[in-house]
Amino acid sequence: MVIVPRHARVWDAPTRTFHWALAAAFAGDWFTRDARYLDIHEFFGYAIGALVAFRYAWGLVGTRWARFASFPLSARSAWRYLVSLARGRQPHHVGHNPAGSWAIHALLAMALLEVATGVVTLGAEKGEGLLAGRFGYPVGDVAHAIHQWLAYGMLGVVALHIVGVLVGCFADRQNLIASMLTGYKPTDDAIADVDAKRGIAVAMTLALAVGALAYFRGYLPATGTQPYRPYASRALPMDAVWKTECSGCHLAYHPSLLPARSWSRMFAEQEAHFGEDLGLGGETLRHLEAFSASNAAEALESPVAWKMATTIPAASAPLRITATPYWVQRHERLDAATWERVHRLECEGCHRDADGGEFAPGAIDMELGKSAVRKGK
Amino acid sequence: MATGRGIVVAVAFALLGVGGRACAGPVDDLLQQFQAQGASHFTVAAGEALWERSVTDPKTGEVRRCALCHTTDLRKVGKHATTGKAIEPMAPSVNPKRLADKEKIEKWLERNCKWTLGRVCTPQEKGDALTMIGSR
Ligand code: HEC
Ligand code: HEC
Ligand code: HEC
Repeated sequence: MVIVPRHARVWDAPTRTFHWALAAAFAGDWFTRDARYLDIHEFFGYAIGALVAFRYAWGLVGTRWARFASFPLSARSAWRYLVSLARGRQPHHVGHNPAGSWAIHALLAMALLEVATGVVTLGAEKGEGLLAGRFGYPVGDVAHAIHQWLAYGMLGVVALHIVGVLVGCFADRQNLIASMLTGYKPTDDAIADVDAKRGIAVAMTLALAVGALAYFRGYLPATGTQPYRPYASRALPMDAVWKTECSGCHLAYHPSLLPARSWSRMFAEQEAHFGEDLGLGGETLRHLEAFSASNAAEALESPVAWKMATTIPAASAPLRITATPYWVQRHERLDAATWERVHRLECEGCHRDADGGEFAPGAIDMELGKSAVRKGK
Repeated sequence: MATGRGIVVAVAFALLGVGGRACAGPVDDLLQQFQAQGASHFTVAAGEALWERSVTDPKTGEVRRCALCHTTDLRKVGKHATTGKAIEPMAPSVNPKRLADKEKIEKWLERNCKWTLGRVCTPQEKGDALTMIGSR
């Protein structure tokens, strides 16, 4: 006798939409973690926040297998499930299995915390977003560190989840991945189809699409010569003498890029400035010293100034911005071919706001200096 | 009558004076200054020779020339040898901002001669260089 397995609809459409949208948004956030793509990263972050909020609500009012009540957190049953898997049995579960429940609850909670720390970091470090200006740089540092480590943690749980699904597929001889796409699972006769709730899934998809359109609408009228800048860069205080004296051989680096002790050392050694004699003296020299002291890293409120002021060891007074720990850390991912094209001291080749000294992530040239080369540099 | 002619002469001299000052420009001032310091006649050829003269820096072993940063063709955009910064063309015919400010010229000649030749330039060399640059 051939047993024709019965299939029942287990996952409603909103749960499936949530699952794949969350996976896509998580991947999107992972691949846009580079500061250049901060505004895209931010969008995926908000999307994750909205999706997880929806899932918590759906866990209370959704269909049978989507409800938290159908997959409670129980260490004992998760253990029993794993043991029976290891013994080669086929423990069949209609909804989520007891080990999978842990992965789901962990991912939901971590995602929520990840979004929260992201919003705090953005508000504190860059003065942008929902919590702009609410927290100082020290809070931003802590939130940023949690945000980064938690992302790795989530990646780990995702990996476990995928392994669990694959093991489940083989142990149970059923395609769990297809189930999450179609909603159907092979089940006992006794299980009734859940309501598909397609309308809610359509509304979710529409909300995401409209949200994306509203969020990215600034890019629509952008052109090559007038690129859209998602973040406005402030111009920090500049000085005419500084500009003329320091812009001949390289960009007039903003004084907020180094601490005051570095500048006083640089001016003390100005007749041997990296092999050049700056020939400064008298009134001009005093003026430059005063301007650099009152606008040095520890004196100015800007994200880069804060980083420079807090990451350069107090005992050192580096003369090179490019030798500071923060600069090195932020640029270590760039490859040799890029440095071949743009000299590392030509900050303006990659940072469109280098002149003003802000170095906002949104002002980083996506093509990293390729357009500068094309202009015939 | 006599006073009238006097006024005409005075106005003519005044105009000549103003015109003469405007024509002289910072380069002519500097050239006169260099000659007062003992330089003789300036030539474009001597300026060209200086521009292409290669000097090995004893400390780094690098071969240095004016053209390294400013290129041989003065109408082209140059590139700073150590920082990579683009340097606007030196030829006043394509970049009218060049040779327009006496202090700036003196400052950069002092700096660039020291870096390139390892010493300050003589008044003769400075005059030849400016004559050559001015001819482009
Ligand atoms: C005559 C040319 C010249 C002028 C004018 C000049 N610099 Fe420099 N500067 C250099 C050179 C050359 C380097 C080192 C380039 C290299 O080899 O990496 C340098 C490097 C620097 C660096 C380190 C960059 C890094 O991160 O590696 C700073 C900071 C700097 N200069 C500041 C100034 C300031 C401030 C002024 C104005 C008072 C100034 N410079 C004027 C030639 C100049
Ligand atoms: C070849 C291109 C390039 C050059 C040249 C360059 N940068 Fe960057 N910079 C980048 C990129 C790309 C990032 C983002 C890296 C990331 O997020 O992984 C960045 C990040 C930064 C950041 C951190 C911004 C933030 O808020 O996260 C600072 C500050 C910065 N650069 C300063 C400088 C300074 C100062 C110079 C010149 C001395 C310079 N950069 C030269 C490409 C460049
Ligand atoms: C290491 C690179 C470098 C070398 C080599 C160099 N220069 Fe320059 N020079 C510069 C820079 C940078 C400027 C300022 C550019 C600017 O203002 O845009 C400059 C400016 C000048 C100016 C002033 C032009 C003006 O704006 O009126 C003169 C004159 C000049 N250089 C002559 C020379 C001569 C002569 C030599 C060879 C003895 C020489 N330079 C070698 C980098 C260099």
